[in-house]
Amino acid sequence: MLSLAVFLPIVCGLAMFACRGMTHRARQVLTEGVTLVTSLLVLFCLMNKRGVAYTPLYLLPKLPISFCIDGVGSVFAAIVAFLWPLATLYGFEYMEHEGGENHFFALYTMTYGVTLGIATAANVLTLYLFYEFLTLCTLPLVMHGTSKASVRAGYTYMMYSFFGAALAFVGVMLIIGFGDGGAFVMGGVMSEAAAEHPLMVQIGYLCAFLGFGVKAAVFPFHVWLPEASVAPTPVTALLHAVAVVKSGVFAIIRVTYFSFGAQVMRGTTAQAIALLLASATIVYGSTMAVKEHHFKRRLAYSTVSNLSYILLAACLMTQSGLTAALAHMLFHALIKITLFFCAGAVMVKTERTQIEDLRGLAKVMPFTCATYTIGAISLMGTPLLPGFVSKWLIGSAAIETGTTLGMIGVAALLISAVLTAIYLMGPAMSMYFRPLEGMEPTAKCDPGMRMKLPFAVLAAAIVLCGLFSDPIITLLAKLSAGVM
Amino acid sequence: MQFVQNFPFFCILLTLMGAVASSVMNSRMARRTTLFLILADLAMNVSVMIYTLQTGDSYAYKMGHFPAPWGNEIRVGVLETVSLTVFLLVILFAFLGGMRKSEKEIEPTKYNIYCILTDLVMLSLIALVYTNDMFTAFVFIEINTLAAAGLVMMRQGGRALVAGVRYMMMNLLGSSLFLIGCVILYTITGHLLMVNIRESVAALAATGQYHVPLTVVVSLISVGLAMKCALFPFDKWLPAAYSNSTPTGSAMLSSIVSKGYIFLLIKVYVRVIGFDVIRSLGICDVLFIFGAIGMVAGSVNATRAKTTRMMVAYSSVAQIGYIFAALGLGSEMGVMCALWHTLAHSATKSMLFISAHTLDHASGDTHLRKDLRGAFYRSPLAAAAFTLGAVNLVGVPLLSVFITKVTMAQAAIQIGGRHTVIALCALAISTLLNAKYFLGTTMQMYIPDHEHPERNAKVKINFYAALGLIGFIALNLTLSFFAQGIFGALLDGLARFA
Amino acid sequence: MNILLILAIFWPALAGLAIFLTPSLKENKKLRGQTVSVALGIELLLTIIMCFGKGTQMVLLNMTPTLRIEMNVDVIGCIFSVLMSAMWLLSSVFAREYMGHDDNERLYQVFYMCVLSALIGQCYAGSMVTLYVFYELMTLLSVPMVVHERTPQAVAAGIKYLVYSIFGAMLGLLGIFFFSNYLGTVTFVPGGVETAASAPSGLLLITFLVIIGFGTKAGMFPMHGWLPTAHPVAPAPASAVLSGVITKAGVLAVLRVIYYLVGADVLRGTWVQKGFMTLTLITVFMGSMLAYRETLLKKRLAYSTVSQVSYVLFGLACMVPAAFEGAILHVVAHSVIKDALFLCAGAIIHQTGKIYVRDLRGIGKEMPITTWCWTIASLGLIGIPPTGGFVSKWQLATGSLETGLAGFDVVGPIILIVSALLTAAYLLPVTINGFFPGSDYDYSTLTNKEGSKLMTVPMILLAAGVVLTGIFAQPLINVIMTAAASIL
Repeated sequence: MLSLAVFLPIVCGLAMFACRGMTHRARQVLTEGVTLVTSLLVLFCLMNKRGVAYTPLYLLPKLPISFCIDGVGSVFAAIVAFLWPLATLYGFEYMEHEGGENHFFALYTMTYGVTLGIATAANVLTLYLFYEFLTLCTLPLVMHGTSKASVRAGYTYMMYSFFGAALAFVGVMLIIGFGDGGAFVMGGVMSEAAAEHPLMVQIGYLCAFLGFGVKAAVFPFHVWLPEASVAPTPVTALLHAVAVVKSGVFAIIRVTYFSFGAQVMRGTTAQAIALLLASATIVYGSTMAVKEHHFKRRLAYSTVSNLSYILLAACLMTQSGLTAALAHMLFHALIKITLFFCAGAVMVKTERTQIEDLRGLAKVMPFTCATYTIGAISLMGTPLLPGFVSKWLIGSAAIETGTTLGMIGVAALLISAVLTAIYLMGPAMSMYFRPLEGMEPTAKCDPGMRMKLPFAVLAAAIVLCGLFSDPIITLLAKLSAGVM
Repeated sequence: MQFVQNFPFFCILLTLMGAVASSVMNSRMARRTTLFLILADLAMNVSVMIYTLQTGDSYAYKMGHFPAPWGNEIRVGVLETVSLTVFLLVILFAFLGGMRKSEKEIEPTKYNIYCILTDLVMLSLIALVYTNDMFTAFVFIEINTLAAAGLVMMRQGGRALVAGVRYMMMNLLGSSLFLIGCVILYTITGHLLMVNIRESVAALAATGQYHVPLTVVVSLISVGLAMKCALFPFDKWLPAAYSNSTPTGSAMLSSIVSKGYIFLLIKVYVRVIGFDVIRSLGICDVLFIFGAIGMVAGSVNATRAKTTRMMVAYSSVAQIGYIFAALGLGSEMGVMCALWHTLAHSATKSMLFISAHTLDHASGDTHLRKDLRGAFYRSPLAAAAFTLGAVNLVGVPLLSVFITKVTMAQAAIQIGGRHTVIALCALAISTLLNAKYFLGTTMQMYIPDHEHPERNAKVKINFYAALGLIGFIALNLTLSFFAQGIFGALLDGLARFA
Repeated sequence: MNILLILAIFWPALAGLAIFLTPSLKENKKLRGQTVSVALGIELLLTIIMCFGKGTQMVLLNMTPTLRIEMNVDVIGCIFSVLMSAMWLLSSVFAREYMGHDDNERLYQVFYMCVLSALIGQCYAGSMVTLYVFYELMTLLSVPMVVHERTPQAVAAGIKYLVYSIFGAMLGLLGIFFFSNYLGTVTFVPGGVETAASAPSGLLLITFLVIIGFGTKAGMFPMHGWLPTAHPVAPAPASAVLSGVITKAGVLAVLRVIYYLVGADVLRGTWVQKGFMTLTLITVFMGSMLAYRETLLKKRLAYSTVSQVSYVLFGLACMVPAAFEGAILHVVAHSVIKDALFLCAGAIIHQTGKIYVRDLRGIGKEMPITTWCWTIASLGLIGIPPTGGFVSKWQLATGSLETGLAGFDVVGPIILIVSALLTAAYLLPVTINGFFPGSDYDYSTLTNKEGSKLMTVPMILLAAGVVLTGIFAQPLINVIMTAAASIL
C-alpha cells in the first residue's frame, strides 16, 4: 500500500508524457485526481500502517530499497500530502498563463511520488536514491520557460545538486560501510564505529550534512535557491519552499538522529561546525532578504534563513531540539507556501515583481494581501500564530544545552527575527498604507477561485495551528521522544 | 558431456571461418555474414550460459585431442558466459546502430574488410574470454590489436591515420611487454596452461625464492595490458583514436577491445597468479593510485573537450580508471566491482557513442558540443539514449554504474585508512565532473534553439540506427533493474573462476 | 470571576469587531460613535469590578505543554487597567468630533478597540510570556493607528515605530529565554522569584537588556528615536493614547521584570540599577531640552512624553518605597495630563489648523476653554500644588534621596528640578501668548473657535482630574502602598 502511494504519482506522471492530446480540463482533472488519491493513500498509511516496512527490491544482496512510515517520516509525509493538492490546484490557473502544461504537470506529479519516497525511506540508500531522482525531476521544472535566466538557474541548480549528491554519497557510503547496512534506527547505527574510527565518523557526518545541506540551502551552498526563483511560482512555492528544501532538511534530520545518532555526535567538532554554519546561514539569509528588491527572491532568501532555523534545532541533538525542528518544518512549510502563492498571484495578475511596485495593492487585491499579511506576521513570530511557537521552541532548546554554541544560535535567531520583521512587514505596510500607482483602484484583480481556495485553506490552517499549537507540539514531542 | 558444451568452440571456429570467407565477398554479403555471425555466436553463447547457470558447472574443454600441457584448452563458466552475452549484445547493437553511417563513410570496395575486422575483434574477444592458455591469449591479443587498428584507420582521413599510428605504437609496446612477461613466466614455471601455472606459482611464492622475477612478471603483464587499455598515464592515444572512427568502430573500440584486455588481466590475476600472491607483491597499490588519478584526470580533460566525441572518449579514460582503481583495492569486492563496471561501461559507452554520432548527424553533421542545443527535438530517440547513458555514468541510483560506485566505496571502506579517503575523494570529484560535462551537454539538448527555430524540426532517423539504440536502451535498463540477479550470478561465477 | 476576567480582556476587541462588521453601523457615524463610547464605558466598569477580584488566576491558553498564557489580577494590574480604560474612553469621545470628517474612521475605531484589549491583557498578565504575547499584539495592532493618515511621513513613522518596537520586543524575548533557563520560571511573584538570588551573573546583563528592550516602548534613551516621529503624525486622539497610555505599557513591563521577576533586592546597588538610573536621568533632561527647542506643537508634546515617562522609570529605578509610590502616582498623573494636553492640541489643530507654537498667539481669546485646560494641565506637569503632578514629583524627589546611591541622590533631584523649569518653559508660553498676545495683536480677527461639547467635555474632565488626583492623592497612595509593601 505504501509503495502504491509512492509509485502511483510517478507512474501517472510518466503516463502523462505520453498523452499529449489531452484538453486542458481533462488534464487538470486527471492531475488533481491523482494527487488527491495519493494524499488519501498517504493518510490511510499514516493511520494504519505505522512501522510496517516494505522492501520491493534489492539493489545488491545486502542493500535493499525499502519503505516504512515511522514517527518522524509521518510528519514530512503529512506536510507533503496536505500541501500538494492545494499547490496543484493553484498551479492550474497560474500555468494557463505560462504554457507548456503537459510536461509541467507530468513532472510535477512525478515529483510528488519521489518526495513521498524520501519521506518514507527506511534506509539511507533509499533516501539517497529518491533524493537524486528529486533533482532529476525538478530540474526541468526549474528550467521551464527555457529563457536564458531559466537555463542558467537550471544549470546552477544542477551543479550544486550534484555537488551535494557527490558529498552526500561519501557520507552515505560511510554510513552503510560502518553502520551495517544503513537502515534508519532510532539512536543511530554508528555507536561502535564511533569508538573505533572517531575521525572517520565525524568526517562522514560533515560530508552528509554538507551534501544534503546543499538542498537545505546551507551557506555557502545556498546560491541555487534565489536563482531558482525565476521558475514559475508553483515550482518555487511547492518545490523550493516545501518539497525540495524540506527534503534536504529532512535528510539531515534522518542522518543525524537515525544513522549517526544524537548521543554519538553530541559534543563533537562536527556538530560544532554544523551549528556554526546553521547560525551563519540564519543571519546571512535574513540580511540578504532585507537588501533584496525582487519579491520572490526576497522570499527565497527568507527560506534560506528559515531552513537553518530547522537545522540549528536539529543539530542541537536533543529531544527538545528535534521537536523544535519538526515544529518549524511544519509551520514554515505552511507559511512559506502561502507567501509564495501570494507573490505568484501578484505576479500573474499585475506583472509586478519588485517590492517597490507593491504599493497600495491592497485596494485591488484585498484577498491576496490579507493572506500575505497573515503569513507575514506569522513568520515574524507574532504570538498566537504558529511562527512564535516554533521559534520559542528552538530558542529554549538552544539555551537548554547550556553551551556557547547554543547561545550563538539564540543570538542569530533574535537578530534574524528583527530582520524578518523588517523584510516581511515592509511589503505588508506598503500594500496597505501607500498610494496605488499605475492602476485604477476599482480594477479589482484578485485571482480566481482556483487560487483563492488554496489561499483560504492555508490561511485558516495557519491560524488554527496557532490556536491549537498545544496538541500539535505534544504530538511532535511524543514522536521525538522515541528517538533518543 | 552435453552437446551444448561444444558451443564455445563452435563460436570460435565459426567466426574464424566467417572472417576468412568474408575476404572474398562483396559488401552486402560481407555485412550479412557479419550479422549472421554475431547472431549465431549470441545464440550459441546464450545456450551455454543457460547451461552453466543451471548446472553451476565450470568446465575445461580441450580443443584438439592433445592433452595438456601441449594441447590447447578453453575454460567455460558462469562468469565467462554471462559477460560474453553482454558483450555480444553490445556488438550486435553497435553494428546495427552504425550500419548505415558506416556504409556512407567507408569506400564500398573496402567495406568487406571492415566486416572482417569486426569479425576478428569479436573473435578475439570470445577467445580472450574463454582461453585457458597464456600463449593463445597473446595470439589473440595481437589479432585484436591489428583488427582494432584497422577500425581506427577505417575512415582514412588524415586524423584517423595519425590516430591509428599512435594507437599502433602504444598497443604494440603493450603487447611486447605482455609477451616478455609471458616468456619469463614460462621460463620460471614451465607451463602455458593457466591452472598449471597457478600451482607452480603458488609453490614458488611459498619458497620465497623467485620474488623478484614474479614481481617483474606481474608488472610487465599489468603494465602491458594497462597500456592497451589506456590507463593513466598511458592514455594519450585514446581520445583521438576513438573519436575519429566510424560509429560502430568507436563503439567497438571503447566497449569491446579494451574489455577483452581487462578480462584477461583479471583472469591472469585470479587464475594464473592468484590474488594473494598479487597482493603480497604490492602491485595493487600502484594500480589503485593510477586508477584514482585516471578517474579525475580523464574527467578534467573531458570538461575541456570541444566535440562531443572527444568528450565521450575522455570519459572512457576516466571509466577505465574506475576499473583499475577497483582492481587495485585487492579484495574480492574490488574484483567484482571491476567486473561489473566492465559490463556496465561496455553497454553504456557504446550507447553513448552511437547516440552521439546520430545526434551529430541530425544537428547538421557537426562535431561540436555546443551545436547540440535542441537536439532532443531533432532526434528524440538518440537524445533519450544519450541522456540515459549520461545519467548512468554520473551515478544516479537504480542504474548500473551506481552499483559500481557503491561496491567500490564499500570495498574501500572495508580496507580502511588511506584507501578509503582516496577512493571516496576520487569518487566524489569524478561524479561532480561527470555531472558537469555530461549533464551540462544533456541539458542543452532539451532547450530549443530560439535563435534558429528551423533547426528544431525533427530529422528522420535511420531504421537500423533506431533499432540499435532501442536495443542499447533495453540492455542498459536490464543491467540496471536486474542488477541484483546478474551481480549474484557474477559473484557465483567468480568463485569458480580460479 | 474568571468569566469576568476573560470578558474584561476581550470585550473591547469583540465589541470593536462587531461594530466594524455590523452593516447598519457602517454609514451612521453618530450611532457608531455612540456605540463605541458605550462599549468603552462598559469596559471601564468591568475593570473597576475586577478590582474587587484581586487574586483571580487562570490559564487562558496552552501554546505548548510548557508555554502558557496565564493571568493574575493584582493591585498594580488593577491600577493600570482602570487608568487605561478611563483614558481610552475619554479619547474616544474626543475622536468622534475630531475624526468626524475622516473616511477611515471605522478602521481606526476597530484597531483602537483591539489595542485596548491587548493592553488590558498585558495589565493582567501573570507571567513574562503572557506579558510578551500581549505586548507584541499591542505593537502590531497599534501600527495602523500611527499610520492612519496614510501620508508618506505617516507610513515612514509607522515603519520606524514597528522596527524599534520589534527590536525592543526581541530583547524582551531574549530575556524570557534566559530567565526561564536561569530562574526556572517566568511567572510573576511579588518581590521576585526566589531562585533569582542565586542565579549566575549573566542574569544582570540580561535584565539590563530587557529593561532597554521594554524601555523602547516607554521612549527611554537610547531607544526613544521613534517616539517624536510617530506621535505627531498620528491623529490627535491617537497621539493622546500613544503618549498617555501605550508608553505606560512599557513602564508596566519594566516594573514587572524588576519587581516581580528578578526582585529589587537582587538589583539594588548593582551596575544595572546605576545604569538604569543614568539612562532615565539622561532621558529626562534630554526630553525636556528637546521639547523646549521644538516648534511643532505635537512634537513638543511628544518630547515632553519622552521626558516625563522617564520620570516614572527613574522612580522605578530607585527601588525604594517612596520613589515607587511617586512613580505609580506619576503614571496616573502623567496619563491624565498628557491626554489633556494632546486633546487640547488636537482641538487647536482641528479648529484653527495651526500646528506651530509661534502661531498660537491669542489662542486663549479664540478658544478659552481649551487654553484653560491646557494651563491647568501644564501646571500639573510642572509640579505646582495642588495638582497630582506635584505629589508625584515630590515623592520622586524624596525617593531619590533615599536610595543611598552615591552621587545619584544629588544628581537626581537636580535634574528633576532643571527639568521642571524646562517644562514650564516649553508649556507656559502657549498659555501666556494665548491669553496675553501683546499689543500688536489684531483683535478684530477674533472669533470663537471652540469645539463642540464632544471635544471640550473630555478636556474639562481631564483637567479636573489633574487637580483631583492631587487633592485626593492619599487614597491612591494607600492603594499603592499595599502593592509596594509586597515587593519592596
